[in-house]
Amino acid sequence: MKKIYLCSDTITGLFSAIYDAWETGRREEECGIAFRESMEQELFCEYYETQETEKKARAVESMIKRHLGRRVYWDIYHAALSGDRRKGDAILGTMLAARQIPDSTRIMEHLSHPQVERVFELSRNVGGEAHSYKGFLRFKELENGVLYSEITPKNQVLTCLAPHFADRLPLENWMIYDKTHRMFVVHEAGKKWVLIWDEGIDRSFASRESEQELLYARLWKSFCRTIAIESRTNPKCQLSHLPLRYRGDMLEHM
Amino acid sequence: MFAYIMEVYRTNVCICYIAQMQTLVFEVYKMNMRIQESMSMYEKLNILTDAAKYDVACTSSGTARKGDGTGMGNCERSGICHSFSADGRCISLLKILFTNECIYDCKYCINRRSNDVVRTSFTPDEICALTMEFYRRNYIEGLFLSSGILKSPDYTMELIYAALYKLRTECRFQGYIHVKAIPGADQELVRRTGFLADRMSVNLELPTAEGLKLLAPNKTRKNILTPMRLVQNRMAENKQEVALYRNAPRFVPAGQSTQMIIGATPETDYQIIQVAESLYQKFELKRVFYSAFIHVNEDKALPARTDEGPPLLREHRLYQADWLLRYYHFQASELLSEENPNFNVVFDPKCNWALKNLGQFPVEINRADYKMLLRVPGLGYKSAVRIVKARRLGVLDFPDLKKMGVVLKRAMYFITCSGKMLYPTRLEEDYITRNLLDAGERLPEEVRNMGYRQLSLFDDVRFTEDGLSWKARAGGAV
Ligand code: SF4
Repeated sequence: MKKIYLCSDTITGLFSAIYDAWETGRREEECGIAFRESMEQELFCEYYETQETEKKARAVESMIKRHLGRRVYWDIYHAALSGDRRKGDAILGTMLAARQIPDSTRIMEHLSHPQVERVFELSRNVGGEAHSYKGFLRFKELENGVLYSEITPKNQVLTCLAPHFADRLPLENWMIYDKTHRMFVVHEAGKKWVLIWDEGIDRSFASRESEQELLYARLWKSFCRTIAIESRTNPKCQLSHLPLRYRGDMLEHM
Repeated sequence: MFAYIMEVYRTNVCICYIAQMQTLVFEVYKMNMRIQESMSMYEKLNILTDAAKYDVACTSSGTARKGDGTGMGNCERSGICHSFSADGRCISLLKILFTNECIYDCKYCINRRSNDVVRTSFTPDEICALTMEFYRRNYIEGLFLSSGILKSPDYTMELIYAALYKLRTECRFQGYIHVKAIPGADQELVRRTGFLADRMSVNLELPTAEGLKLLAPNKTRKNILTPMRLVQNRMAENKQEVALYRNAPRFVPAGQSTQMIIGATPETDYQIIQVAESLYQKFELKRVFYSAFIHVNEDKALPARTDEGPPLLREHRLYQADWLLRYYHFQASELLSEENPNFNVVFDPKCNWALKNLGQFPVEINRADYKMLLRVPGLGYKSAVRIVKARRLGVLDFPDLKKMGVVLKRAMYFITCSGKMLYPTRLEEDYITRNLLDAGERLPEEVRNMGYRQLSLFDDVRFTEDGLSWKARAGGAV
């Protein structure tokens, strides 16, 4: 009977489930991965609760890096951040397929394999969203000088964004809240950023903006309006580059 | 080594000298500006943004730089778009003028001396504050600083230098800076500014010297080309310095660009792309931008005002041709000629070229060399690369091409796979033209409705300078 490993939708959870599945399953049809939050019970399957540990996750990470190489790990890691419900099977399937070919590091070239193709697609999609947010994300300055941002991504892009902003704003205190997945990334000036899950944190502090904030917000909105050339107005083009789903969190479109 | 030490020495001496000069200039400058002190930052920003918006360059690409941990900012090679304005253009940089005062009288320009508009200037401090505050809120990738000519080219260049110097040293800003070199300004000033900027540009303004004489009487071709050459030479020297000493300061690492106005003067497309070609070849420019002429002034030297709006299709065709020059190994003289000096309204420049050179087709996909593949309509550089790679492993057929992103609807008239065409077609210009039009080519999207995709202005938003990208190209294969 097919064994399905249940885990939480986090990197630690997913990699722990892969760890367990890897131990037992030898073929794609024999094992699968599902998320507790979003699973749909299938017939003729056995369900197992995954014990999620940092240790298992690290073991999977280093196994992928060692046997498939860093570039493939990059793709798998990004796919693992995706909002897609079946990403676990795609990743596991890709890893199993990689075992079958002579040079496992070239697995991402085998796009004719459906699970490999999925991982490729998911990774591209997550990378694309993360890239968009590098530009579309807005910080506002709170009373205490902290820069605060809220985003609504489809995928868990915070860990893709954090290194970018840590390099960019090393001397600032900043935090980004992912409303979809209820997670924070917090960066204290001069330190390493950390990821925090929101378990009922009171976010009312976020509405207390600094005095300067209003001034610069107003300047920015006016800049965005003024920079457009009237005789070239082209809302369709604007829409195709800046989809509506990003605009809810963007100051100049609020 | 000695030369390098001397260079550093010279630079240091100059910076002291410049610092003194700056204090002097600021004194005069402050007196000058007193009148406008009452104007709020909000009003100033509105005026100096409005006056800068016609500049088409919007990219923040070409430099990859990590932050050093002591300040703020870094650069991504492919550039980052932070927003899109109502005209569909990417907002990446804080694009402003230092001042909209100007001693010159270029006929097409809103800031010309003879126009009655409200004038104002930023101070270097204001520019620093705006850039830093916008950047930390992630509004922008950096600063694009241009300017009217206040008092003299030297005076203006000095102010620009002062602003950048402050931004880079005092504020420790490490984000992207695109700055204009002012034609006619002291070479040493231009050189020193270049060490603070990522990209520099000198506007060509109009494609020919005659055009310049007609519409920009205070500017000369020579004045414009001199700083361009200076930047080119200094970049070449800097490459060697950097090769020798890894920590040598970088001079304009993202290269230089220029822009010219299209449709204000009677040049043909052929003349324009010849100019662009020689700028790429002789001045090693990174980019040439084309800006469809927009009526802002009434002047009898300008073309008559019409209801048609700016010549956007023409601008679009020029950008397509520009791609062909830069990435597809085409030469200007292949695309147009004295007899046939303007681009086709219906077909893009590559398709047009193919129709006029049917003798070179059909191309055998399994054998043709890379450069010839690039010339096939419906086949972009990405698919060309894929074909070359894939055919090493086996013989390619039409379904394979489709998977590789080839637009068969267009390409099928020009290619064979193992000697066979997709359908029996005739290699005749009329026949292919008719069929392409029937197949939905008709008039290009941008002619049919104004909701066209402004490929022209974006072509390096989603692409890095070497042409690779995250996302598929908006307009499909060229
Ligand atoms: S130099 Fe010419 S184009 Fe530039 S601001 Fe002055 S009038 Fe305008």
